[in-house]
Amino acid sequence: MTDASIDVDETGANPAHGPGASREFAGSVVALEPIMGDSVLLTVAAPPQIARETRAGRFFEILCRYEETFDPLLRRPYSAFAADPESGLLQFLVRPYGRGSAWLARRAFGDPLNILGPLGNTYRIASRAQNLLMVAGGVGVAPLVMLANEAVARGCNVVFLLGATTADALLAPQWLPGDVEYVVATDDGSKGRHGFITDLIPEYVRWADQVFACGPEPMYRSLRNVLMPLRVGGRPPVQVSMERAMACGLGACLGCMVETRRGLQTTCVQGPVFDMGDIVW
Amino acid sequence: MDEERGAPDLSVDLAPNNPRELHLKNPVIAASGCFGYGQEYAGVIDVQRLGAFVSKGITPRPRAGNPMPRLAETPAGMLNAIGLQNPGIRGFARKYPRLWEHWRVPAIVNISAESVEEFADMAAILDEQPGVAGIEVNVSCPNIARGGFCFGWDADMSAEVTRAVRAATTLPVIVKLSPGAVDIVSVARAVEDAGADAISLINTLVGMAIDIRQRRPVLGNLTGGLSGPAIKPVALRMVYQVAGSVRVPVIGIGGIASLADALEFFFAGASAIQIGTAIFVDPSLPLRLIDELADWMAREGARNLGEIVGAAQRSHGGRAPMPTLAEGTGG
Repeated sequence: MTDASIDVDETGANPAHGPGASREFAGSVVALEPIMGDSVLLTVAAPPQIARETRAGRFFEILCRYEETFDPLLRRPYSAFAADPESGLLQFLVRPYGRGSAWLARRAFGDPLNILGPLGNTYRIASRAQNLLMVAGGVGVAPLVMLANEAVARGCNVVFLLGATTADALLAPQWLPGDVEYVVATDDGSKGRHGFITDLIPEYVRWADQVFACGPEPMYRSLRNVLMPLRVGGRPPVQVSMERAMACGLGACLGCMVETRRGLQTTCVQGPVFDMGDIVW
Repeated sequence: MDEERGAPDLSVDLAPNNPRELHLKNPVIAASGCFGYGQEYAGVIDVQRLGAFVSKGITPRPRAGNPMPRLAETPAGMLNAIGLQNPGIRGFARKYPRLWEHWRVPAIVNISAESVEEFADMAAILDEQPGVAGIEVNVSCPNIARGGFCFGWDADMSAEVTRAVRAATTLPVIVKLSPGAVDIVSVARAVEDAGADAISLINTLVGMAIDIRQRRPVLGNLTGGLSGPAIKPVALRMVYQVAGSVRVPVIGIGGIASLADALEFFFAGASAIQIGTAIFVDPSLPLRLIDELADWMAREGARNLGEIVGAAQRSHGGRAPMPTLAEGTGG
């Protein structure tokens, strides 16, 4: 990185929301149900304005700490899987792979949760976009499920690709809106295409007005390798949600930077959703 | 609360020898690097209620900082290697003093440089800024002229920086000490003699984490600064030593996450405290600490901070000499 890549945001605040919109609140666990193999779908009751401010791509920092300890020290970021403005309920997809997520996946009905959010920006559906391709890897499916619901409500056509290790780690189709074309791939071939989900992308590139992705960085690498030679004039544009080790979630610590053509940007405030073409990979 | 006696006085002047004063309405300060430039937290807490806040570290020129990853969580702590990403003193001066000018909370600017002259130049620029209440000098950076040896590890080099900054500004000057110093007390005394209005300590401890699957350091910079509750006992020991050895106010920093932690630092001799890593997790903690401290003082019948600062020093019947390092380990 060079000094020239510095970008100081003029407002310093998230352009997506004004002061006071990001807040700490007390949530309460309403339900925990198994979903996608060993993962859990966590439903949390929150103050009603929280769900109203939540759009696909935004995330929450949840305190996942064993009582009377500093373990784990930092909050854990979770993208919204769903947010219902009517009931105020939020949903998160939790895969118990570390100490924080294991703690969260073991909550019980009525347990309190200390949550900060909603944070960050959103996926952005262009006003004239009609055909949307969504590409998810594993639990990266969470914000795209929310986006698929937003897209269908706007009358868009959605093709939803999900890759997972095995068949039982896939998302059951009932979690997606009915009129979404849902295509899956598994690493072991136990369901759908045998191989990477990104292998399926060439079939849809010409159809798609926009591509939205969420998954691990190796998936983005193969997404780029597959997509770049097929794109014409930068079309279709691709938005990806980035993951970085994060502390504050508010753009203060500068721990979660992504290098972009417009300089270093924070994943927590200026992201997590970036245009793939803006990122310096 | 007993209305007749009134609420306890939480105010403190961190620069009693300086005509420009650094008067804080309460002793709770947001630490450098953990609070951005103040505005990042303005949507989450009432920033104006803080005793003060310290800006992210500013350097003479813009810095892009270190490669990712910059953060690693550790037991009861975290490592950071941000690398002083900042817009440089001129970029900073164009934007933030103007913003802070109308804030009620004192804004202290943390500065880092790799030469004595650059420290002085930055202090001179800040001297003219309306929204700046004071300067915190970060001596935990390498001195290029001395082969990259850290200023803060050496009493003479720390004093040289302090003298240069003192000569360049009439603003209150706080010098933030590095726990890597060979002898923290001699560094503290040297910066006090060189004109520091106050001393803050400690900065982070240099540490490392290794990813055992990939068999390489977690941080892009290889090493990083350890902060959080894990470092509190080290910080407390150093605050106790320094507060017992200097006359200027001491600001305690290091792993404070509760009222009990804060009280330990006050009893050790800190006149004020900085909250760092805990803000990342619990942004409203500093404001709760102000309220909890006021309630605690009222319950204990303490009318002002002077009655509690250094209580643990006095319990030894004055300034009992600290054990030497070897004795201190019990070894």
